[in-house]
Amino acid sequence: MSKLKPRERDAIVQALRAGVVPKLGLRHIQVGRVREIEELVKDMERIADGGSAIRFVIGEYGSGKTFFMNLIRLVALEKGLVVMFADLAPDRRIHATGGQARGLYAEMARNLSTRTKPDGGALASVVERFVSQAHRDAEEKDVPTGTIIRERLSHFEELTGGFEFAEVIRRYWEGHENGDDELKSAALRWLRGEFATRTDARKALGVRTIVDDASVYDHLKLMSAFVCEAGYKGLLVGLDEMVNLFKLTSSQARNANYEQILRILNDVLQGSAENLGFLMGGTPEFLMNTRRGLYSYEALQSRLAENTFARDGLVDLSGPVVRLASLTPEDLFVLLANVRRVMQDDETALSDTALEAFMNHCSDRIGEAYFRTPRNTVTAFVNLLSVLEQNPGVEWSDLIEKIDVSEDRGEDMSEVEETTGAQPNGDDDLISFKL
Amino acid sequence: MSSAFDQLARPVQKWIRQQGWRELRDIQARAIRTIHETDNDLIVAASTAGGKTEAAFFPLISQVLDAPAEGGGFDLLYIGPLKALITDQAGRLEGICQEAELPVVPWHGDVSQSVKTRAMKNPRGILLITPESLEALFVRRGLEIARLFGATRAVVIDELHTVLDSERGVQLRSLLTRLELAIKRPIRRIGLSATLGDMDLARAYLRPDNAEHVTLIEADGGEAELKLQLRGYLSGGEDENTPSATDAVAAHLFEHLRGSDNLVFAGARQRVEIYADRLRNLCEQEHLPQEFYPHHASLSRDHRDFVERRLKDNSKPTTAVCTSTLELGIDIGDVTCVAQIGAPFTVAALRQRLGRSGRREGQPAILRQYAVETRLTSDSSFVDRLRLGLIRSIAMIDLLLEGWCEPPKPQALHLSTLVHQILSVIAQRGGAPANILYSVLCREGPFRQITTAMFTDVLRALGHPETGLIEQTDGGLLLLGPNGERLVEHYSFYAVFKTPEEYRLVSNGRDLGTLPIDNILSPGMMLIFSGRRWLVQEIHDREKVIMVKPAKAGVPPVFGGDPGEIHDKVIARMFEVLERDTKPLYMDANALEMLEEARLNYAQMGFTNARLINLGEETSIIATRVGTMKTTTLALALRGFGFSVGQYDGFLQVEAGEETPPLTEVLNRIGEGEDVDLFAGAENLLTEKFHPYLTRELLELDAISSRLEPQCLVRVVEALGS
Repeated sequence: MSKLKPRERDAIVQALRAGVVPKLGLRHIQVGRVREIEELVKDMERIADGGSAIRFVIGEYGSGKTFFMNLIRLVALEKGLVVMFADLAPDRRIHATGGQARGLYAEMARNLSTRTKPDGGALASVVERFVSQAHRDAEEKDVPTGTIIRERLSHFEELTGGFEFAEVIRRYWEGHENGDDELKSAALRWLRGEFATRTDARKALGVRTIVDDASVYDHLKLMSAFVCEAGYKGLLVGLDEMVNLFKLTSSQARNANYEQILRILNDVLQGSAENLGFLMGGTPEFLMNTRRGLYSYEALQSRLAENTFARDGLVDLSGPVVRLASLTPEDLFVLLANVRRVMQDDETALSDTALEAFMNHCSDRIGEAYFRTPRNTVTAFVNLLSVLEQNPGVEWSDLIEKIDVSEDRGEDMSEVEETTGAQPNGDDDLISFKL
Repeated sequence: MSSAFDQLARPVQKWIRQQGWRELRDIQARAIRTIHETDNDLIVAASTAGGKTEAAFFPLISQVLDAPAEGGGFDLLYIGPLKALITDQAGRLEGICQEAELPVVPWHGDVSQSVKTRAMKNPRGILLITPESLEALFVRRGLEIARLFGATRAVVIDELHTVLDSERGVQLRSLLTRLELAIKRPIRRIGLSATLGDMDLARAYLRPDNAEHVTLIEADGGEAELKLQLRGYLSGGEDENTPSATDAVAAHLFEHLRGSDNLVFAGARQRVEIYADRLRNLCEQEHLPQEFYPHHASLSRDHRDFVERRLKDNSKPTTAVCTSTLELGIDIGDVTCVAQIGAPFTVAALRQRLGRSGRREGQPAILRQYAVETRLTSDSSFVDRLRLGLIRSIAMIDLLLEGWCEPPKPQALHLSTLVHQILSVIAQRGGAPANILYSVLCREGPFRQITTAMFTDVLRALGHPETGLIEQTDGGLLLLGPNGERLVEHYSFYAVFKTPEEYRLVSNGRDLGTLPIDNILSPGMMLIFSGRRWLVQEIHDREKVIMVKPAKAGVPPVFGGDPGEIHDKVIARMFEVLERDTKPLYMDANALEMLEEARLNYAQMGFTNARLINLGEETSIIATRVGTMKTTTLALALRGFGFSVGQYDGFLQVEAGEETPPLTEVLNRIGEGEDVDLFAGAENLLTEKFHPYLTRELLELDAISSRLEPQCLVRVVEALGS
């Protein structure tokens, strides 16, 4: 394994402590799930070769969905894909009428990343790269750059909304040539889905449409075609926290969103999408609940149903649903050992006995759930290591019984308490309330 | 003008000068000072048209103008109980705000969508809204609440006294708490109220956690002169030649009210229709222009608007015959006289109604109370003999003259409203875990009597597969279930009170109003509606439309309506009236005669010395001498033992059943504290909108907390023996 850079180390420690997935250096702590990763790597290669892919990453809260998706994201970047990742939220969803879908698109566009700019905000450089390439080619062939751009984007006009998209890119070039930064930034704002009304877009750019709620998927397709023109291999779209669709109150709204997913699924599986991949992360409920999950939508249920032969240890990883299996105790041990290696020097490192004692403690406290949901275990472990590092006199055996690990519930329970200042005790029966 | 005037912003000062006001009223000056100098919550209590609205809004608007908010959002929030009141207040505030260029946005079911969309895009100024529309904002735009109200400085609650402890009042309090939680800071609350018996309860209502910091600004008494008369009428009897009591009352009204603006409170909608019809006929017979109009909530908006406009218009004399609809502060100008037919249920309502007249300086307030009693025959019931309606009117007028009125009721559980708020919070947040629901509603919100155990019981009842209002994810998050979704999606969800299904009455393509469906109607029947007679032509059940055409004769429709709740003190005063022998000056000869009759019968039946009278072997009468809640509790307890019990003001008529133990023995057992089952008589417990979703145990708890007083049972029974 390659050497750990100090920057990566800090990023990992910070992120693990906060219970979120680090963006860098994932390979230093990754364990298990080898076959799933292999399968997804193949997907990325297929996208890079002009194909398409869609995967639903399904696992419990804290089971490592986000970690897994970020790992694939890094793979995709390595393969030369452009990635657009975003979390769904009550005000960011795939289909809506009140601007929530555009909100999701805008979030994805802000997070657009490339290999050289892996932290998001890469849209400008993608457009810049396309334009400057066109400019170079134009100089070689001695034709106006506008013509080259027009030529390159001519096939866009067959796609929905493609004409306007191409028009915006031309505007960007105009701004580029005339040193009109305002026009350039307006074009980028348009591409990022930040125009709320057509009137504004028309005033700024002279185009008659905007990225709106109805055209989000069309624009993702345009974007994938565009990044290919700019010299990238394809586009990977990642949507996490899909459970927010499951939580929608109105059944109409849920169905409208599932219909969009169906559309995407059909396009991808039938091969009509090119250089485009989707990763969607959600809980088993989001997938399986027949009243409000994906399975409530008949057409999706039949397409997503898992291979009935794949059980009792047999696996079929070719279907669109990837279930994240629980980590084995051995996996978890390796995971903690990896964390230890990231955080500690070889001389001062914690003994393997300590790791085992820690795992036993967690297992006593929350039972088998901790294999399914490594998030809290890892957070507690990182905290333990930090205390040991900063208090040289303290022994791990003194601390281990005091560690508080709780079962992962996925919902942020602290929200009301912080706004109301209410004391959380006394509500234990409510926290564990079951209908 | 005063220093308070100087504290106002220039545009507000300018508006006041334009009105030609010489000085600010006392409550206005005090409110301006309080709002400018402190952050306290505030209650402004004064009679209708005492300048309360201005008292609150002058300083609030000034503050907005002096220091405009930086972020977006409505600056001020006004919550009023009636659509008409909001429309009316919007008109008044627009006048003040025009100069200041502050938008005034009325927001309720009848406001057009375009106005709402515009306000949503750029929320600022004053939002005037009903509790139901505010609820709708929470349910439909839960995520935008923080944006819409981020800049809100104060919320003004109009007609505070009408919502105190009702279902809507609890809903409103819950919404205010949720609003404060959403924007993460407290908002100053200002209550506008009529003078109440116990203002401390109102303060606790306004800010339960900090009632002592609620400043109370009460208008000085300065009560105008009051003229009143109580007239007695007898109905029924063999004598065909004398006009019926209804006709006699109508004739008296016609004679004395014609030619000026008046309000006639006739009680139920049915009686409103009868009197409006009689008075209209009298006008037609005399070939005089029509000036008597009915006004109640079932009538179409157009018609009500028309009546309200006519009342305001000084050039046309108008008398509105109405239910309690015109009791609230809709500005209808002042009226010469208030007539009340039949006894009201509360002194507070009587006082509020009376406040409509005698507002101008030098004008007395005039109250004409009509008591209609049945002519006695040999088999008249004791209720008629004791003339309880008349006695109640006297007791209430007495208490009114003494300046007493009912305090708001103490806290009940309000489980129906709790269910409503649980669904609403889940919809607002798109799912919530049980502990957050409990914190928001029961720890911060108004449902403080609910224990966690009771709360989980409620949740389980809602989550029962057959009820299906809520469901739970594996992670513990509560979401709306299939039935819950259906319920919340429909606009009728926003109102926390029951709205009976009503039919629309249509004549010649014109809407006349709505009629509740507890009426049995069939084509060919006659009915009186909107003060006129109609023939039913067609009934469309699915569209809920009844087609009618004008007709000559008809019977009035039966409208739904709840009997009110009479306070202990009123009942106690009724017994005093029966036992004294004073003759109130304000009663006419007829009424005095009826009072004498009642006192005589009272003594004859032996109530002067005894509280339990046997009328026969099976029938007894108990004089409980206490108000509705306690009397009902005793009635239910007796029904549990197998008696059939009729309930009247302070009296119970008890009929022994086949196998009931002797009444005295039962009373002794109750008096000794024996546990009684109040609900053995299979009492209907579904009184509020969301009751059908709860279990019987919860319903019994709810009923005990809101409508009964089991803890007083022993005391009531003990008093019977003495």
